Amino acid sequence: MAISDYASRSAPREREGSAVLAFVRRLDWVLFGAVVAVVAYGLWGVAGITRFEVEGDERYYVVRQAIAIGLGFAGLLVALAVDPERYRRAYRSIFGSTILLVLLVFPFADETRGAKRWIELGPFQFQPSEFGKLLFVLALAGFLADRARRLHEGRVVFQALALGAIPIALVFKQPDLGTALVYGAALLACLFVAGIRWPHFIGLLALGVASAVSVLVLLPRLGVELLEPYQKDRLTGFTQPDFDPGDTTYNVNQSITAIGSGGFDGRGVAGATQTRFGFTPESRTDFVFSSFAEQRGFVGAALLLGLYLLIVWRGLRVVTVARDAFGAIVAGGIVLAFLFQVFVNVGMTMGLAPVTGIPLPFVTVGGSSMVVNLLAMGVLLSIHARGSLGGRRAG
Amino acid sequence: MARNSAFNERRSSSGRFLPPDPRVAEPYRFTPQLALRVGMLGAVALAVFAALFLRLWALQVLSGDKYLVAARENQIRTVRVEAPRGPILDRNGLPLVTNIPGTAVQLWPADMPKQGRYRMVQRLASILHVRPAQITEAIEARRGDPLTPITVKSAVPWDRASYLKEHKSEFPGVSVVTTYLRNYEHRSLAAQILGHVGEISRDELKAKKADGYRGGDKIGKDGVESSFDSSLRGTAGLAQLRVDSLGRPQSPFQVQQFPAAGYGVRLTIDLKLQRAAEKAIRYGIERALENENWWANGGAIVALDPTDGEVLALASNPTFKPSVYVGRPVGKKLRALEAPEANYPLLNRATSGRYPPGSTFKPVTALAAMEEGILSPYQALQCTPVAYYGNDRQEFRNWNPNVNEAMTLPHALAASCDTYFYEVGNKFYGLPERRGQPLQRWARLFGFGQASGLDVGGEDAGLLPTIRWKRATYTKESYPKTWKIDRLWKPGDSIQLAIGQKDLLVTPLQMTRFYAILANGGKLVTPHLVSSVEQPGSADRPSVVLQRFAPTPPTQLPLTGEYLAAVQEGLSAATSESYGTSVGVFGSFPVPIYGKTGTAEKVVDGRLRDQSWWCGYGPEWGGRSAIALCALIENGGFGGEAAAPAALKVLEAHYGVRATVFAERASD
Repeated sequence: MAISDYASRSAPREREGSAVLAFVRRLDWVLFGAVVAVVAYGLWGVAGITRFEVEGDERYYVVRQAIAIGLGFAGLLVALAVDPERYRRAYRSIFGSTILLVLLVFPFADETRGAKRWIELGPFQFQPSEFGKLLFVLALAGFLADRARRLHEGRVVFQALALGAIPIALVFKQPDLGTALVYGAALLACLFVAGIRWPHFIGLLALGVASAVSVLVLLPRLGVELLEPYQKDRLTGFTQPDFDPGDTTYNVNQSITAIGSGGFDGRGVAGATQTRFGFTPESRTDFVFSSFAEQRGFVGAALLLGLYLLIVWRGLRVVTVARDAFGAIVAGGIVLAFLFQVFVNVGMTMGLAPVTGIPLPFVTVGGSSMVVNLLAMGVLLSIHARGSLGGRRAG
Repeated sequence: MARNSAFNERRSSSGRFLPPDPRVAEPYRFTPQLALRVGMLGAVALAVFAALFLRLWALQVLSGDKYLVAARENQIRTVRVEAPRGPILDRNGLPLVTNIPGTAVQLWPADMPKQGRYRMVQRLASILHVRPAQITEAIEARRGDPLTPITVKSAVPWDRASYLKEHKSEFPGVSVVTTYLRNYEHRSLAAQILGHVGEISRDELKAKKADGYRGGDKIGKDGVESSFDSSLRGTAGLAQLRVDSLGRPQSPFQVQQFPAAGYGVRLTIDLKLQRAAEKAIRYGIERALENENWWANGGAIVALDPTDGEVLALASNPTFKPSVYVGRPVGKKLRALEAPEANYPLLNRATSGRYPPGSTFKPVTALAAMEEGILSPYQALQCTPVAYYGNDRQEFRNWNPNVNEAMTLPHALAASCDTYFYEVGNKFYGLPERRGQPLQRWARLFGFGQASGLDVGGEDAGLLPTIRWKRATYTKESYPKTWKIDRLWKPGDSIQLAIGQKDLLVTPLQMTRFYAILANGGKLVTPHLVSSVEQPGSADRPSVVLQRFAPTPPTQLPLTGEYLAAVQEGLSAATSESYGTSVGVFGSFPVPIYGKTGTAEKVVDGRLRDQSWWCGYGPEWGGRSAIALCALIENGGFGGEAAAPAALKVLEAHYGVRATVFAERASD
């Protein structure tokens, strides 16, 4: 029945033996501080960005975002309290619920802009695929941790890939290309951290590149279109931003103009005409960074990026201090997924990356994204708190 | 079933049958391999952030100013402010066309809602009484130019305009603006000369982009409006306003450059004479109908100043009101302007109608024959009821079968003896080949077979038949059965040409130009309609002439005075001697009038119908200028019955005196 290793048996003992104070002392306060800072900073940015969005209620989005933050921090504390070992043991159910969650969208969700991504829950919208990100990493890490010693076998790698492919395909089908790519990045990161052999990893990377090329270039030539035309335009549009200013790349050009016009110290809330008069597309969701950069300038945007870098750094550090393979893989998956999201989202607003609907962690207005990112940070902190400090083994 | 096996723990080699033993299971260690991998991930993260920072630096710090400008321009929309179009004036400065303010409804396609566009278009269309297709076609046509509005309709009634204003929020992208509408002060007067104004078409835009025309501009489509568009249109101003991304204005209009009103164009047309001429055509048609020429349904009158070619009146009937083009024109009304049932009101018959001239051409024949030495003016020829020419003794009849007397040239002109001119025509035919075709040569000198060079609008060149023309026209391909015969120049061709029949076609303007030669002693004038472009004056400020169009100096033709005098004598006798064809009309007119009737046979709808002509001139008299004049009534019967009375009306208006006795006569 029970699948366990050394860590699972030592964990309860450790928790019993630790005073709350000791636990608090073991927290990664730098990471926690960085998260609090980026959340507060993001909320401040959103306050400026959405000030003119709803006529007569300039705090409309700030209030909603604050509620989400409150929920998210509650979730973070819960995640902190939960021993990651529990996730590992339950990884099958977690995997099952990931699939269920992603499937939920199909019968219930409203079609927004041709995509089924949200489920209406009273006044709130719930985006299952966001929660799926975290569950996906946990389930995959559980699967890999249990096979930690056989990861050099191609068969195991293949099994992990097959397992991961199911939710990825479902999310892709919603269609939510961006989130599917995040899942893919998390999958690769988990495999990498879990320790699959280099040839396998390089082969996987090559496979990823080859499939991107074939989906975008080769198959259409043969008459097979897997992507909707708009998706393809977005993915390839950033390579030729002046090609089609009226449509797809219009958004990117407006976004670049907004960022550039922010200059060194920003145009302020009232003076940021690109945001204020709606030239910047999706200014509180996917393109939130361009509005942020327009209003706060290079100083403000660089500070935001700096905070992200801090989180990534501390997150990678969690990989190194993790108590067990599971913790390391989870931390690696979470951090890489986070890094991927930041890069693709910010890169997209500056014309460096293709346009995909990926939210900017902790800034984009949206409850699901905020809550799940804070939950993920909670898991990271929890792994850290139960891990070995400074790379030495704990307990 | 790969998935099942993946979950199947029992198949793992180490723990297949026994529970794992912590003593056997190796504890987790942070291996150097993992450290390497984390280090690599860290490197990737650093590289990613380095890329983002660099890009951010490049955008915001290095080219921030450039993007700031772009962001500012983003929200500024420059709009062209329409300039009022200049007026068109008659020779005395009386306005023919002016502007009135009107309400126009414009549509900015870029600002239309993404969803429910077509529903909005349909609603707009039903409010403005236009077809939805007209709007969608206009949107389609303006696809590449999202910043120029589409004028859905101008001259919108105020109640509909105010409805749209009140329901502005339901019609995003629709704006109600004030515009200038063309106002035709005298309704249909001079409609074919003035032309009309419309929105610039794609082709016109392509051709005129370099001249500052832009999509959505108004442009003259015809007549003076078209020929002098560059003077009339003025210069559009520029205004800017700040808009949001949906085009909703965020600031009031700020005029950057005020529009400059268009210049006035002064015509040589005399408003009173023009009105008289148009009335006279209707009168001529009435006369024709009264004389049971039931098919009389149109006509033209041209009046020139024979000294310099100024066009005093240029009338064409049937006519139309140019106001049908104002606003968004209704297709049905426009089609009616070109409809055969309405006898093509759009056609300017004075300049573009092609008619055989009939007897009004006889002075051409006479002058050419005398100059060529085959006719002596006072040597009498017998005017017989019928004459026979050619190897087959073809019969040529005189219009008047009751005459048989010897006539001099003036007498033959006055009585319009056909057989006299048949004889002359036959003499032309008999000339040796090396003499060429002198009748046609002279006719060409007099301006036939070519455009007169009028400065406004299109003109027809008519048709002057020659040997070469016949060869080119009648070919095996075009007339497979008869071409061998038809392509030959036969005696009948010369004989019929001498009395202005068969293939010869002229326009009333060409004809009038020729009679101006007789009036001014042998000078070919170039008719023109526009005398000057001027800055319109106001109540306390006279108008300023900016550009005066000096008439093209008349060309002196190599005519012998004696011969010219003989023709003039004949034309005078025609209106004053008892045997003259129009003495009944002009006999009691106080001013000595010179003129010639004509009754030209033309095939209309498969039947030969008589085109009623009168061409002539009057001298300077009682302070009024000399005038050369042609009147034509389509299918009007004898020249003396319809055209001559119509011409008299114009002359009465010109000289301000009236004929005391009127006794029209059925005479050619």
